Amino acid sequence: MSNNRVSRRQFLGYTLTGVGGFMAAGMLMPMVRFAVDPILQQHEGGDFVLTDQAAADITEEPVRVDFAFEQTDAWYVSEVTNSAWVYKEGDKLIALSPVCKHLGCTVNWAGDPENPTQFFCPCHAGRYEKNGQNIAGTPPLGPLDEYEVQEQDGFVAIGAVRQNTLV
Amino acid sequence: MHFIGKEMDQYLSQQDYVDTAVVPLLQLDLSAAGMKSSAGASEYLQTLTALLEKQFKGRILLFPPVSYAKIANRQRIADELSEEMQHTKFKHVFYLTTDSDWRTIDSLKNVLWLPAIPIEDMDQSFKKSVMEDQLRQVLPLFTKEWSHHS
Repeated sequence: MSNNRVSRRQFLGYTLTGVGGFMAAGMLMPMVRFAVDPILQQHEGGDFVLTDQAAADITEEPVRVDFAFEQTDAWYVSEVTNSAWVYKEGDKLIALSPVCKHLGCTVNWAGDPENPTQFFCPCHAGRYEKNGQNIAGTPPLGPLDEYEVQEQDGFVAIGAVRQNTLV
Repeated sequence: MHFIGKEMDQYLSQQDYVDTAVVPLLQLDLSAAGMKSSAGASEYLQTLTALLEKQFKGRILLFPPVSYAKIANRQRIADELSEEMQHTKFKHVFYLTTDSDWRTIDSLKNVLWLPAIPIEDMDQSFKKSVMEDQLRQVLPLFTKEWSHHS
């Protein structure tokens, strides 16, 4: 037995502090976990979808690249195919959304024979420059949206849609 | 646009731009022998019109398929539909169907008759390319109609 014996009072004090600490931790831990949960969530939109378009084949001329992903609409899960217009600016890949900013039709590259270097919307003759800039005097009021895009193992991978950063 | 509540608000505020209605006409043949091909035709027609809607979302309003029995009186359906369309502001109305009986009905304008292709056994990517080929045949009919009366 050592000299500094633990008194009954001290022993009880240590025990209660210890047990109380555990209980407090047990209550606080879930709260802290709930509080930081939004930060730890994976963002589904940030995932890149691999396409079967080889990145090396992309030129300065926009080509249509299709990509499919699963979309849940209430309880109905469906595979949705979207497409993007992909081209190279120097060495940088650029992917533009084909959805017209007017009323949501699908735009085509060089769809209008008179403007072979522009995107053309067949619904109301909206036109966009190659970088997605809408042409004044045509119905669209904003530039085409842009997709995040990267090269994965030599193939084009398309990510989340965002506002056009080129214009 | 689809004929759903959410898109009706947008339609009602953009009626000048959305000037074309697309009505699929769908025959239901529920006899034991005809059921499968009828279902296949339905799948084909709805896939095609969905693609069409995606391409021309801002100019067409795609209605749900008008389904009718095999023995239905096509002339009566045609008259009733065109009368209902009188209430709307659509400048162009297209009817898409795989039912060849419609070819004898003259009172409906712009009935596009397409022979159904059985797509149920195709794999996803082949089906997609077939349907896009089909779509490419239909698109010019729309742009032609629009450029005539715009």
